[in-house]
Amino acid sequence: MSALSRDQIRTMMAEVLAAQGKEMPAEDTANLEELGFRSLDFSELALRVEDETGEELNFDAPGLRQIQTVADVLDFLEQLQAA
Amino acid sequence: MSQAPAGEPTRGAGNRIVLRGVATTWGELDTLDLPPAAAVLVEDNLQAARAVWTHATSDRETLVTSRTRVTPDLGADLRAEGLALVSGDLSQVEPATLERDAQPGRIWLLTSGSTGRPKRVAHTLDSLTTVGGDQPARTWLCPYAHGAYAWWQVVTLGLTVPGQDVVFIEPDELDTWPRMALDAGVTAASGTPTFWRQALYRDPEAVAALPLEQVTLGGEPVDQAILDRLIELFPKARVSWIYASSEAGASIAVHDGKAGFPEAWLDRDTPGRPRLSIVDGELVIASPKRGEGIDEHLRTGDRVEVVDGRVLITGRLASDEINVGGSKASASQVRDVLQSHPAVAWASVKGRKAPIVGNIVTAEIVTTEPVSDDELSAWARERLPEYAVPRRLRFLDAIPIKETLKSDV
Repeated sequence: MSALSRDQIRTMMAEVLAAQGKEMPAEDTANLEELGFRSLDFSELALRVEDETGEELNFDAPGLRQIQTVADVLDFLEQLQAA
Repeated sequence: MSQAPAGEPTRGAGNRIVLRGVATTWGELDTLDLPPAAAVLVEDNLQAARAVWTHATSDRETLVTSRTRVTPDLGADLRAEGLALVSGDLSQVEPATLERDAQPGRIWLLTSGSTGRPKRVAHTLDSLTTVGGDQPARTWLCPYAHGAYAWWQVVTLGLTVPGQDVVFIEPDELDTWPRMALDAGVTAASGTPTFWRQALYRDPEAVAALPLEQVTLGGEPVDQAILDRLIELFPKARVSWIYASSEAGASIAVHDGKAGFPEAWLDRDTPGRPRLSIVDGELVIASPKRGEGIDEHLRTGDRVEVVDGRVLITGRLASDEINVGGSKASASQVRDVLQSHPAVAWASVKGRKAPIVGNIVTAEIVTTEPVSDDELSAWARERLPEYAVPRRLRFLDAIPIKETLKSDV
Protein backbone atom coordinates (compact mmCIF):
# COMPACT_ATOMS: atom_id res chain seq x y z
CA MET A 1 0.00 0.00 0.00
CA SER A 2 1.28 3.49 -0.78
CA ALA A 3 2.32 6.04 1.82
CA LEU A 4 -0.30 8.31 3.30
CA SER A 5 -0.43 11.95 2.31
CA ARG A 6 0.06 14.75 4.78
CA ASP A 7 -3.67 15.50 4.59
CA GLN A 8 -4.56 11.89 5.36
CA ILE A 9 -2.28 11.89 8.41
CA ARG A 10 -3.82 15.20 9.46
CA THR A 11 -7.30 13.64 9.28
CA MET A 12 -6.15 10.74 11.42
CA MET A 13 -4.64 13.11 13.96
CA ALA A 14 -8.01 14.89 14.10
CA GLU A 15 -9.66 11.51 14.78
CA VAL A 16 -7.29 10.78 17.67
CA LEU A 17 -8.09 14.17 19.16
CA ALA A 18 -11.83 13.86 18.51
CA ALA A 19 -11.95 10.54 20.41
CA GLN A 20 -10.94 12.57 23.47
CA GLY A 21 -13.34 15.41 22.82
CA LYS A 22 -10.59 17.70 21.50
CA GLU A 23 -10.56 19.67 18.28
CA MET A 24 -7.90 19.72 15.61
CA PRO A 25 -6.61 23.28 15.23
CA ALA A 26 -6.66 24.99 11.84
CA GLU A 27 -3.02 26.06 12.13
CA ASP A 28 -0.18 23.55 11.93
CA THR A 29 1.87 25.80 14.17
CA ALA A 30 -0.38 24.93 17.12
CA ASN A 31 1.55 23.73 20.16
CA LEU A 32 0.95 20.09 21.11
CA GLU A 33 1.13 20.71 24.84
CA GLU A 34 -1.54 23.38 24.66
CA LEU A 35 -3.58 21.11 22.45
CA GLY A 36 -3.33 18.22 24.92
CA PHE A 37 -1.76 15.92 22.34
CA ARG A 38 0.56 13.73 24.39
CA SER A 39 2.98 10.83 23.91
CA LEU A 40 0.21 8.25 24.04
CA ASP A 41 -1.71 10.13 21.37
CA PHE A 42 1.35 10.31 19.15
CA SER A 43 1.89 6.57 19.60
CA GLU A 44 -1.72 5.86 18.70
CA LEU A 45 -1.46 8.02 15.60
CA ALA A 46 1.69 6.18 14.51
CA LEU A 47 -0.07 2.83 14.86
CA ARG A 48 -3.06 4.14 12.92
CA VAL A 49 -0.66 5.04 10.11
CA GLU A 50 0.89 1.55 10.29
CA ASP A 51 -2.52 -0.12 10.17
CA GLU A 52 -3.61 1.99 7.22
CA THR A 53 -0.47 1.43 5.17
CA GLY A 54 0.06 -2.14 6.32
CA GLU A 55 3.73 -1.37 6.93
CA GLU A 56 5.66 -1.06 10.13
CA LEU A 57 7.30 2.31 10.65
CA ASN A 58 10.98 2.25 11.43
CA PHE A 59 11.35 4.69 14.28
CA ASP A 60 15.08 4.26 14.47
CA ALA A 61 15.65 5.53 10.95
CA PRO A 62 15.46 9.31 11.22
CA GLY A 63 16.22 9.53 14.92
CA LEU A 64 13.73 10.96 17.31
CA ARG A 65 13.75 14.71 17.61
CA GLN A 66 11.88 17.49 19.28
CA ILE A 67 8.20 17.36 18.37
CA GLN A 68 6.38 20.42 19.58
CA THR A 69 3.81 21.40 16.98
CA VAL A 70 1.21 19.80 14.73
CA ALA A 71 3.56 20.43 11.81
CA ASP A 72 6.34 18.51 13.62
CA VAL A 73 4.05 15.48 13.97
CA LEU A 74 3.05 15.56 10.30
CA ASP A 75 6.64 16.11 9.13
CA PHE A 76 7.92 13.28 11.27
CA LEU A 77 5.35 10.73 10.17
CA GLU A 78 5.81 11.71 6.53
CA GLN A 79 9.53 11.25 6.93
CA LEU A 80 9.12 7.89 8.67
CA GLN A 81 7.04 6.54 5.81
CA ALA A 82 9.76 7.49 3.36
CA ALA A 83 12.50 5.90 5.48
CA MET B 1 -14.92 -57.15 25.23
CA SER B 2 -12.78 -56.82 28.29
CA GLN B 3 -13.70 -57.67 31.82
CA ALA B 4 -13.17 -54.94 34.38
CA PRO B 5 -11.23 -56.16 37.38
CA ALA B 6 -12.70 -55.37 40.75
CA GLY B 7 -11.23 -52.26 42.29
CA GLU B 8 -11.55 -48.53 42.71
CA PRO B 9 -10.31 -47.34 39.30
CA THR B 10 -13.15 -49.02 37.43
CA ARG B 11 -16.12 -48.67 39.78
CA GLY B 12 -17.80 -46.62 37.05
CA ALA B 13 -17.38 -49.37 34.41
CA GLY B 14 -21.14 -49.44 33.90
CA ASN B 15 -21.43 -45.68 33.47
CA ARG B 16 -22.64 -44.51 30.11
CA ILE B 17 -20.27 -42.70 27.77
CA VAL B 18 -21.40 -41.02 24.55
CA LEU B 19 -18.90 -40.71 21.72
CA ARG B 20 -19.92 -38.89 18.52
CA GLY B 21 -23.53 -39.46 19.50
CA VAL B 22 -23.09 -43.21 20.09
CA ALA B 23 -23.72 -44.47 23.62
CA THR B 24 -21.77 -47.28 25.24
CA THR B 25 -20.19 -47.93 28.65
CA TRP B 26 -16.59 -47.98 29.77
CA GLY B 27 -16.83 -51.72 30.36
CA GLU B 28 -18.00 -52.36 26.81
CA LEU B 29 -15.00 -50.68 25.20
CA ASP B 30 -12.47 -52.88 23.44
CA THR B 31 -9.07 -52.70 25.00
CA LEU B 32 -6.02 -51.87 22.88
CA ASP B 33 -2.93 -53.94 22.29
CA LEU B 34 -0.42 -51.36 23.49
CA PRO B 35 3.27 -51.51 24.35
CA PRO B 36 3.74 -51.44 28.15
CA ALA B 37 4.85 -47.80 28.03
CA ALA B 38 3.01 -45.88 25.32
CA ALA B 39 2.12 -42.38 24.21
CA VAL B 40 -1.22 -42.80 22.51
CA LEU B 41 -1.78 -40.09 19.89
CA VAL B 42 -5.51 -40.09 19.39
CA GLU B 43 -7.77 -38.81 16.65
CA ASP B 44 -10.92 -38.68 18.76
CA ASN B 45 -12.44 -39.44 22.14
CA LEU B 46 -13.29 -43.04 21.19
CA GLN B 47 -9.59 -43.80 20.78
CA ALA B 48 -8.82 -41.81 23.92
CA ALA B 49 -11.46 -43.64 25.98
CA ARG B 50 -10.17 -47.01 24.78
CA ALA B 51 -6.64 -46.00 25.81
CA VAL B 52 -7.92 -44.98 29.25
CA TRP B 53 -9.88 -48.20 29.69
CA THR B 54 -6.86 -50.23 28.60
CA HIS B 55 -4.75 -48.36 31.16
CA ALA B 56 -7.31 -48.78 33.93
CA THR B 57 -7.62 -52.53 33.41
CA SER B 58 -3.96 -53.50 33.10
CA ASP B 59 -0.55 -52.61 34.49
CA ARG B 60 1.01 -50.08 32.15
CA GLU B 61 2.35 -46.58 31.61
CA THR B 62 0.32 -44.26 29.40
CA LEU B 63 0.24 -40.80 27.90
CA VAL B 64 -2.93 -39.80 26.03
CA THR B 65 -2.94 -36.74 23.82
CA SER B 66 -4.34 -35.42 20.57
CA ARG B 67 -2.25 -36.44 17.58
CA THR B 68 -2.19 -32.80 16.48
CA ARG B 69 -0.30 -31.78 19.63
CA VAL B 70 2.71 -33.98 18.97
CA THR B 71 5.24 -32.34 16.70
CA PRO B 72 8.13 -34.42 15.30
CA ASP B 73 10.45 -32.91 17.95
CA LEU B 74 8.08 -33.74 20.79
CA GLY B 75 7.53 -37.24 19.39
CA ALA B 76 11.29 -37.80 19.35
CA ASP B 77 11.54 -36.57 22.94
CA LEU B 78 8.81 -38.95 24.09
CA ARG B 79 10.48 -41.90 22.38
CA ALA B 80 13.81 -40.93 23.94
CA GLU B 81 12.10 -40.96 27.33
CA GLY B 82 11.01 -44.57 26.82
CA LEU B 83 7.50 -44.20 25.41
CA ALA B 84 6.47 -45.90 22.19
CA LEU B 85 4.32 -43.71 19.93
CA VAL B 86 1.02 -45.29 19.00
CA SER B 87 -1.04 -43.54 16.32
CA GLY B 88 -3.31 -43.91 13.28
CA ASP B 89 -5.85 -46.64 14.00
CA LEU B 90 -3.76 -47.31 17.13
CA SER B 91 -2.01 -50.28 15.58
CA GLN B 92 0.87 -48.17 14.22
CA VAL B 93 3.73 -48.26 16.71
CA GLU B 94 7.01 -46.34 16.62
CA PRO B 95 9.11 -47.99 19.32
CA ALA B 96 10.83 -46.07 22.07
CA THR B 97 14.46 -45.21 21.46
CA LEU B 98 15.24 -45.71 25.16
CA GLU B 99 14.81 -49.21 26.51
CA ARG B 100 13.51 -49.26 30.05
CA ASP B 101 10.90 -50.98 32.19
CA ALA B 102 7.43 -49.48 32.19
CA GLN B 103 6.20 -47.85 35.40
CA PRO B 104 2.87 -49.58 36.07
CA GLY B 105 0.08 -47.11 36.80
CA ARG B 106 2.00 -44.08 35.61
CA ILE B 107 0.01 -41.55 33.56
CA TRP B 108 1.81 -38.70 31.83
CA LEU B 109 0.17 -35.39 31.03
CA LEU B 110 1.51 -32.69 28.75
CA THR B 111 1.44 -29.15 30.08
CA SER B 112 -0.27 -26.57 27.91
CA GLY B 113 3.11 -25.53 26.52
CA SER B 114 2.16 -21.87 26.32
CA THR B 115 5.75 -20.97 27.13
CA GLY B 116 7.51 -23.46 24.88
CA ARG B 117 7.52 -27.20 24.23
CA PRO B 118 5.06 -29.02 26.53
CA LYS B 119 6.55 -30.52 29.70
CA ARG B 120 5.59 -33.95 30.98
CA VAL B 121 3.90 -34.15 34.38
CA ALA B 122 3.64 -37.48 36.20
CA HIS B 123 0.31 -38.60 37.63
CA THR B 124 -1.66 -41.77 38.37
CA LEU B 125 -5.36 -42.48 38.08
CA ASP B 126 -5.52 -41.87 41.82
CA SER B 127 -3.84 -38.46 41.71
CA LEU B 128 -6.07 -37.44 38.80
CA THR B 129 -9.22 -38.49 40.64
CA THR B 130 -10.31 -35.42 42.54
CA VAL B 131 -14.01 -36.13 43.10
CA GLY B 132 -15.16 -39.08 45.16
CA GLY B 133 -17.76 -40.14 47.68
CA ASP B 134 -21.49 -39.98 47.08
CA GLN B 135 -22.35 -37.77 44.16
CA PRO B 136 -25.77 -37.05 42.67
CA ALA B 137 -26.22 -38.96 39.40
CA ARG B 138 -25.26 -36.71 36.50
CA THR B 139 -24.48 -36.71 32.82
CA TRP B 140 -21.37 -34.61 32.23
CA LEU B 141 -20.33 -32.79 29.12
CA CYS B 142 -16.61 -33.18 28.38
CA PRO B 143 -15.51 -30.70 25.71
CA TYR B 144 -11.85 -30.59 26.75
CA ALA B 145 -8.86 -31.53 24.62
CA HIS B 146 -7.97 -35.22 24.73
CA GLY B 147 -5.60 -35.93 27.61
CA ALA B 148 -5.64 -32.44 29.14
CA TYR B 149 -5.84 -32.20 32.93
CA ALA B 150 -9.46 -30.98 32.84
CA TRP B 151 -10.31 -33.84 30.43
CA TRP B 152 -8.82 -36.33 32.89
CA GLN B 153 -10.85 -34.85 35.73
CA VAL B 154 -14.11 -35.56 33.90
CA VAL B 155 -12.83 -38.95 32.71
CA THR B 156 -11.78 -40.12 36.18
CA LEU B 157 -15.11 -38.98 37.59
CA GLY B 158 -16.89 -41.13 35.01
CA LEU B 159 -14.51 -44.02 35.46
CA THR B 160 -14.57 -44.18 39.25
CA VAL B 161 -17.92 -42.88 40.51
CA PRO B 162 -21.07 -44.85 39.68
CA GLY B 163 -23.84 -42.69 38.25
CA GLN B 164 -21.52 -40.25 36.47
CA ASP B 165 -22.08 -40.51 32.72
CA VAL B 166 -19.96 -38.57 30.23
CA VAL B 167 -20.84 -37.08 26.86
CA PHE B 168 -17.65 -36.35 24.95
CA ILE B 169 -17.47 -33.47 22.49
CA GLU B 170 -14.89 -33.45 19.71
CA PRO B 171 -13.16 -30.22 18.62
CA ASP B 172 -15.18 -30.29 15.37
CA GLU B 173 -18.42 -30.53 17.37
CA LEU B 174 -17.90 -27.35 19.39
CA ASP B 175 -20.31 -25.41 17.16
CA THR B 176 -23.18 -27.81 17.71
CA TRP B 177 -22.61 -29.14 21.21
CA PRO B 178 -25.71 -27.61 22.92
CA ARG B 179 -28.11 -29.62 20.74
CA MET B 180 -26.02 -32.78 21.11
CA ALA B 181 -25.95 -32.26 24.87
CA LEU B 182 -29.72 -31.84 24.97
CA ASP B 183 -30.22 -35.06 23.01
CA ALA B 184 -27.83 -36.95 25.31
CA GLY B 185 -29.46 -35.66 28.51
CA VAL B 186 -26.49 -33.65 29.79
CA THR B 187 -27.15 -32.20 33.25
CA ALA B 188 -23.65 -30.97 34.13
CA ALA B 189 -21.16 -29.13 31.96
CA SER B 190 -17.61 -27.96 32.48
CA GLY B 191 -15.73 -25.54 30.24
CA THR B 192 -13.44 -22.54 30.11
CA PRO B 193 -14.91 -19.02 30.28
CA THR B 194 -14.09 -18.72 26.56
CA PHE B 195 -16.01 -21.94 25.87
CA TRP B 196 -19.08 -20.56 27.66
CA ARG B 197 -18.77 -17.12 26.06
CA GLN B 198 -18.54 -18.66 22.62
CA ALA B 199 -21.56 -20.89 23.21
CA LEU B 200 -23.65 -18.02 24.55
CA TYR B 201 -22.61 -15.80 21.68
CA ARG B 202 -23.36 -18.41 19.03
CA ASP B 203 -26.62 -19.93 20.26
CA PRO B 204 -27.84 -18.68 23.64
CA GLU B 205 -31.30 -20.24 23.25
CA ALA B 206 -29.87 -23.72 22.69
CA VAL B 207 -27.61 -23.32 25.75
CA ALA B 208 -30.48 -22.00 27.91
CA ALA B 209 -32.61 -25.02 26.94
CA LEU B 210 -30.21 -27.42 28.69
CA PRO B 211 -31.49 -28.75 32.04
CA LEU B 212 -28.18 -28.07 33.77
CA GLU B 213 -27.83 -28.75 37.49
CA GLN B 214 -24.10 -28.05 37.57
CA VAL B 215 -22.15 -25.48 35.56
CA THR B 216 -18.39 -25.44 36.01
CA LEU B 217 -15.76 -23.02 34.74
CA GLY B 218 -12.00 -23.43 34.79
CA GLY B 219 -8.80 -23.26 32.80
CA GLU B 220 -8.75 -19.46 32.52
CA PRO B 221 -9.33 -16.54 34.88
CA VAL B 222 -13.03 -16.47 35.72
CA ASP B 223 -14.59 -13.01 35.84
CA GLN B 224 -17.81 -11.92 37.50
CA ALA B 225 -19.52 -11.02 34.21
CA ILE B 226 -19.53 -14.60 32.89
CA LEU B 227 -20.55 -16.01 36.29
CA ASP B 228 -23.48 -13.57 36.45
CA ARG B 229 -24.57 -14.48 32.95
CA LEU B 230 -24.56 -18.21 33.71
CA ILE B 231 -26.33 -17.78 37.05
CA GLU B 232 -29.01 -15.73 35.30
CA LEU B 233 -29.37 -18.40 32.62
CA PHE B 234 -29.39 -21.34 35.03
CA PRO B 235 -30.92 -20.05 38.28
CA LYS B 236 -31.40 -23.56 39.69
CA ALA B 237 -27.91 -24.83 38.86
CA ARG B 238 -24.87 -24.75 41.07
CA VAL B 239 -22.37 -22.53 39.26
CA SER B 240 -18.79 -23.30 40.28
CA TRP B 241 -15.35 -22.34 39.21
CA ILE B 242 -12.29 -24.48 39.66
CA TYR B 243 -8.59 -23.76 39.69
CA ALA B 244 -6.64 -26.75 38.46
CA SER B 245 -3.59 -27.55 36.38
CA SER B 246 -1.57 -30.63 35.53
CA GLU B 247 1.21 -29.40 37.79
CA ALA B 248 -0.73 -28.01 40.77
CA GLY B 249 -3.57 -30.52 40.60
CA ALA B 250 -7.14 -29.51 41.41
CA SER B 251 -6.66 -26.93 44.10
CA ILE B 252 -9.56 -24.50 44.43
CA ALA B 253 -13.30 -25.03 43.99
CA VAL B 254 -15.67 -22.12 44.58
CA HIS B 255 -19.43 -22.52 44.59
CA ASP B 256 -20.79 -19.17 45.83
CA GLY B 257 -21.20 -17.62 42.38
CA LYS B 258 -18.52 -15.01 42.98
CA ALA B 259 -15.24 -14.46 41.16
CA GLY B 260 -12.15 -15.20 43.23
CA PHE B 261 -12.06 -17.07 46.53
CA PRO B 262 -12.41 -15.85 50.14
CA GLU B 263 -9.29 -14.24 51.56
CA ALA B 264 -9.80 -16.38 54.68
CA TRP B 265 -8.73 -19.44 52.65
CA LEU B 266 -5.19 -18.08 52.43
CA ASP B 267 -2.45 -19.64 54.56
CA ARG B 268 -4.87 -22.16 56.03
CA ASP B 269 -3.72 -25.69 56.85
CA THR B 270 -6.42 -28.33 56.40
CA PRO B 271 -5.41 -32.02 56.16
CA GLY B 272 -5.86 -33.36 52.63
CA ARG B 273 -6.58 -29.89 51.21
CA PRO B 274 -4.21 -27.60 49.32
CA ARG B 275 -2.54 -24.72 51.10
CA LEU B 276 -2.95 -21.44 49.24
CA SER B 277 -0.74 -18.41 49.67
CA ILE B 278 0.43 -15.29 47.86
CA VAL B 279 4.10 -14.49 47.35
CA ASP B 280 4.96 -11.24 45.54
CA GLY B 281 1.54 -11.09 43.93
CA GLU B 282 1.80 -14.69 42.68
CA LEU B 283 -0.46 -17.58 43.70
CA VAL B 284 1.49 -20.33 45.46
CA ILE B 285 -0.16 -23.73 45.98
CA ALA B 286 0.89 -26.74 48.03
CA SER B 287 -1.52 -29.47 46.90
CA PRO B 288 -1.66 -33.17 47.79
CA LYS B 289 -2.98 -33.74 44.25
CA ARG B 290 0.02 -32.13 42.50
CA GLY B 291 2.01 -33.97 39.88
CA GLU B 292 4.93 -36.07 41.07
CA GLY B 293 8.22 -34.22 41.24
CA ILE B 294 6.46 -30.86 41.29
CA ASP B 295 7.63 -28.41 43.97
CA GLU B 296 5.55 -28.80 47.11
CA HIS B 297 5.00 -25.05 47.21
CA LEU B 298 4.38 -24.46 43.52
CA ARG B 299 4.72 -20.94 42.18
CA THR B 300 1.87 -21.04 39.71
CA GLY B 301 2.84 -18.07 37.53
CA ASP B 302 -0.67 -16.73 38.06
CA ARG B 303 -1.13 -13.15 39.21
CA VAL B 304 -3.51 -12.55 42.10
CA GLU B 305 -4.87 -9.52 43.90
CA VAL B 306 -7.04 -9.16 46.99
CA VAL B 307 -10.12 -6.98 46.49
CA ASP B 308 -12.82 -6.59 49.14
CA GLY B 309 -11.96 -9.83 50.91
CA ARG B 310 -11.74 -11.91 47.70
CA VAL B 311 -8.57 -13.22 46.13
CA LEU B 312 -8.92 -12.67 42.38
CA ILE B 313 -6.79 -14.66 39.93
CA THR B 314 -6.32 -12.18 37.14
CA GLY B 315 -4.00 -13.76 34.60
CA ARG B 316 -0.50 -14.98 33.87
CA LEU B 317 2.26 -12.93 35.44
CA ALA B 318 4.41 -13.26 32.34
CA SER B 319 1.83 -11.83 29.97
CA ASP B 320 -0.45 -9.69 32.10
CA GLU B 321 1.69 -6.61 32.52
CA ILE B 322 1.87 -4.08 29.69
CA ASN B 323 4.48 -1.39 30.18
CA VAL B 324 3.09 1.85 28.75
CA GLY B 325 5.72 4.54 29.07
CA GLY B 326 6.72 3.25 32.52
CA SER B 327 3.16 2.81 33.78
CA LYS B 328 2.00 -0.78 34.29
CA ALA B 329 -1.34 -1.67 32.72
CA SER B 330 -2.91 -5.02 33.61
CA ALA B 331 -4.22 -6.81 30.51
CA SER B 332 -6.66 -8.84 32.60
CA GLN B 333 -8.05 -5.75 34.31
CA VAL B 334 -8.60 -4.05 30.95
CA ARG B 335 -10.18 -7.24 29.57
CA ASP B 336 -12.57 -7.44 32.54
CA VAL B 337 -13.60 -3.79 32.07
CA LEU B 338 -14.33 -4.36 28.38
CA GLN B 339 -16.18 -7.60 29.09
CA SER B 340 -18.36 -5.84 31.66
CA HIS B 341 -19.84 -3.69 28.86
CA PRO B 342 -23.32 -5.07 28.11
CA ALA B 343 -22.66 -5.38 24.37
CA VAL B 344 -19.28 -7.12 24.66
CA ALA B 345 -19.36 -10.91 24.39
CA TRP B 346 -15.60 -11.41 24.55
CA ALA B 347 -12.39 -9.38 24.66
CA SER B 348 -8.68 -10.10 24.45
CA VAL B 349 -6.13 -7.48 25.48
CA LYS B 350 -2.49 -7.27 24.51
CA GLY B 351 0.34 -4.78 24.37
CA ARG B 352 1.54 -3.60 20.99
CA LYS B 353 4.95 -2.14 20.30
CA ALA B 354 4.67 1.61 19.79
CA PRO B 355 7.00 4.60 19.49
CA ILE B 356 7.89 6.81 22.45
CA VAL B 357 5.88 4.91 25.09
CA GLY B 358 7.20 1.44 24.19
CA ASN B 359 3.80 -0.27 24.14
CA ILE B 360 0.19 0.73 23.96
CA VAL B 361 -2.81 -1.30 25.02
CA THR B 362 -4.83 -2.86 22.20
CA ALA B 363 -7.90 -5.06 22.26
CA GLU B 364 -9.78 -7.48 20.08
CA ILE B 365 -13.52 -7.49 20.69
CA VAL B 366 -16.58 -9.52 19.78
CA THR B 367 -19.91 -7.78 20.41
CA THR B 368 -23.47 -9.03 20.52
CA GLU B 369 -24.81 -5.82 18.98
CA PRO B 370 -23.28 -2.89 17.11
CA VAL B 371 -21.28 -0.62 19.37
CA SER B 372 -18.91 2.12 18.29
CA ASP B 373 -15.22 2.41 18.91
CA ASP B 374 -15.88 5.73 20.66
CA GLU B 375 -18.46 4.27 23.02
CA LEU B 376 -16.18 1.45 24.14
CA SER B 377 -13.27 3.86 24.55
CA ALA B 378 -15.45 6.12 26.70
CA TRP B 379 -16.54 3.08 28.77
CA ALA B 380 -12.89 2.17 29.33
CA ARG B 381 -11.84 5.77 30.09
CA GLU B 382 -14.42 6.00 32.86
CA ARG B 383 -13.03 2.90 34.55
CA LEU B 384 -9.30 2.77 33.83
CA PRO B 385 -6.27 5.02 34.11
CA GLU B 386 -5.49 6.80 30.86
CA TYR B 387 -2.47 4.67 29.99
CA ALA B 388 -4.57 1.47 30.29
CA VAL B 389 -7.35 2.57 27.93
CA PRO B 390 -7.05 0.53 24.71
CA ARG B 391 -5.92 2.79 21.91
CA ARG B 392 -6.62 0.37 19.10
CA LEU B 393 -9.77 -1.75 19.03
CA ARG B 394 -10.27 -4.49 16.49
CA PHE B 395 -13.72 -5.99 16.06
CA LEU B 396 -13.84 -9.71 15.21
CA ASP B 397 -16.77 -11.63 13.71
CA ALA B 398 -16.47 -14.63 16.04
CA ILE B 399 -14.82 -15.59 19.32
CA PRO B 400 -11.50 -17.30 18.51
CA ILE B 401 -11.00 -20.51 20.42
CA LYS B 402 -8.22 -23.06 20.45
CA GLU B 403 -8.45 -26.80 21.01
CA THR B 404 -7.61 -26.06 24.65
CA LEU B 405 -10.89 -24.09 24.79
CA LYS B 406 -8.82 -21.08 25.77
CA SER B 407 -8.58 -17.82 23.89
CA ASP B 408 -4.85 -17.14 24.22
CA VAL B 409 -4.52 -17.09 20.45
